[in-house]
Amino acid sequence: MYNNIHFYNFIILHPMNMNQLKNNIVSLKAEEFEEKPGLFCMSYGFDSKKITSSIAQVGLINRPYVRRNRSGTIDIITGYRRITACRELNWKIIPCIDLSDAGLSDADLLILNLYDNICVREFNNIEKYMIIKKLLSYFSMSNIYERFMPFLGVSSRREIDLLLKIEGLTDELKGYIAKGLLSIKALELLKEIKDYDLPIITKFITELHLNFNQQILFIEYINDISIREGLDVSSLLNGKTFIELLDDASQNIPQRAKTLLDRLRIKRFPILVKNEKAFAKLILEVDLPPNVRIKHTPFFEGPDYVLEISFKDGKKLKETINRLTHAKGIEKINDPWTA
Amino acid sequence: MTIKKIIIENNAASFRQSHSILNKLKNVTTERETGELSEFTDKIYPADMDKETLRLVVFKGEFLKPCPGTKEYICCGYQILNIGTNCPMNCSYCILQAYFNQPSLRVFVNLEHELNSIEEYLDSQPEKIFRIGTGEFTDSLALDHICEWSSLLSAFVQKRKNVVLEFKTKTDNIQGLLSSPHREKIIVSWSLNSPDISRQEDIGAPTIERRLKAAKKCQQEGFIVGFHFDPLVHYKEWKEGYLKTLELLDKYVDPKRVIWVSMGCMRFIPALKHIIRKRHLKTHILDGEFINGSDGKMRYFKPIRIEMYSFLKKHLDLWEKDLGLYLCMESSEVWTKSFGWTPDNSQGLSDYLDNRVVKKKLISYLS
Repeated sequence: MYNNIHFYNFIILHPMNMNQLKNNIVSLKAEEFEEKPGLFCMSYGFDSKKITSSIAQVGLINRPYVRRNRSGTIDIITGYRRITACRELNWKIIPCIDLSDAGLSDADLLILNLYDNICVREFNNIEKYMIIKKLLSYFSMSNIYERFMPFLGVSSRREIDLLLKIEGLTDELKGYIAKGLLSIKALELLKEIKDYDLPIITKFITELHLNFNQQILFIEYINDISIREGLDVSSLLNGKTFIELLDDASQNIPQRAKTLLDRLRIKRFPILVKNEKAFAKLILEVDLPPNVRIKHTPFFEGPDYVLEISFKDGKKLKETINRLTHAKGIEKINDPWTA
Repeated sequence: MTIKKIIIENNAASFRQSHSILNKLKNVTTERETGELSEFTDKIYPADMDKETLRLVVFKGEFLKPCPGTKEYICCGYQILNIGTNCPMNCSYCILQAYFNQPSLRVFVNLEHELNSIEEYLDSQPEKIFRIGTGEFTDSLALDHICEWSSLLSAFVQKRKNVVLEFKTKTDNIQGLLSSPHREKIIVSWSLNSPDISRQEDIGAPTIERRLKAAKKCQQEGFIVGFHFDPLVHYKEWKEGYLKTLELLDKYVDPKRVIWVSMGCMRFIPALKHIIRKRHLKTHILDGEFINGSDGKMRYFKPIRIEMYSFLKKHLDLWEKDLGLYLCMESSEVWTKSFGWTPDNSQGLSDYLDNRVVKKKLISYLS
């Protein structure tokens, strides 16, 4: 394992070395390439239409880098997407640059491909996971934190931990993550869900277009309820209250998402929700001036209630205070659970 | 619980406690570990936390520290004596699962060596009562038959005028205490719960009845005892459950020789939730209605806490009026609404508990 990434800055990025390597052009038969993405590939869930159309229009502007491995087959170092596109276009021969004799190690070649990709595109989360996993074969985690984290657009060590949780996920879930439909923060929670419950969870997430925060709430609520009630997530979500929401034509999709979370919250926090409703009812019954609001602290955890008055000037404020002192029912405001 | 391996870290072998432990566990495989300890990463974090390995460690931090508390809730002003970390039991709610990323049962064998500086510190504030406990990061007595903490520390506190020492435990491992000649300035206390919760969640711990039988024995042998209902757990039959424990208390314990009874509802840092879910697949400890507390911890919705505390207070009062009831990490509002009075702040609670120490004649009044 290498501890100093600077080593690669010399070998790979030295322009003279690179220019020499670019002369090793070879024409390879399309059938020589294996179907599998291979050792250096960092592409997942991409749409090949654009690149196929580009190559069809103007040809292969940048040649892929390849090497012939010990078993005689070809390893794609850079340009997996380009080669895939060429094959889709039925090219028989693909021109490449051969790095077989360049004296570069697997780690060198991985970094070469990383630089090649990073210049032209952003990685999706599955690709970031693939890259980190490959890098871990050659570098220590602290090296990855220091040198590659900003480079990959990963904001924290925690995010790396989350990305590594992608390991072992089904292709379906990976697909959702790659498309940005499923948050990696939700992954940790999904690991607590039984495999057979995952399809229904992803069905709700994708059909109701739950945003990342909603995904986390949704999974937390449904998992907690399922454990508390001793019922599978599937049987809970297949219940009428929830499953019918997916096709409820009376609401648009964001409304359905909100209704789903509201219904789950009532089930998860019955006492809290009952008290929130009772408090709201209590306040409604008070004859408050329209520019006055009375609120409770989050979850009623603070000791006091809050009175909010909006006013234009002192005269209006005085009027409001006078009205407040005579507001009917104001003395009844109390902790809703004591009623 | 059986110790299957002993690891002696760095220069821990030279301490007297290490010799004593190795002598007691002659047949256990021993390894020496040199260099820096590698921390557990998420990848290799063992489900069992390697609780069958005893590590003899030279602790480089401060041995005596005040309980951290938080400004939002009232703290009892306890001093923590850090004798080791982790414990052989495997309670589902244990905060140590989230706090410690280092493996095994860890015994700080340089404790005896550090007692001189602790002594200096305690003596430098003769007007202050120090309520010291060892049960914060480990169980005070679970490893006592191996580590002999009770013998070492009981002798240490006898010489101090301004110190009481609380051994907080879930075990009935009291032989070491009973065989020590010291009774003064010592409090032996037990964590209690409802028998249902104890059975489901206190994995590897003695039953509530066994704990209370041990408390009875300690009282008979001249010790003052205390109890901690922590964590109180809200579940369907919680009232019946906690009443069963109160019946057992009445059966085994003389309330006149109880210094204090604390209560604290289940609370946890958010990160603990996923650890609990991973390590305790059958637990129902997370079923309740937890909200974000003002200190960032998850705690039961306030009226649930108030109801539980009020209920227990009412029934404990029927048993004995003067039990030194207090709440652990609660707001002044919850104190008032549950107990009908409040110590207002952490200093107020600290004074109240100091007075209990004087009242039970563990310490003479300090002028």
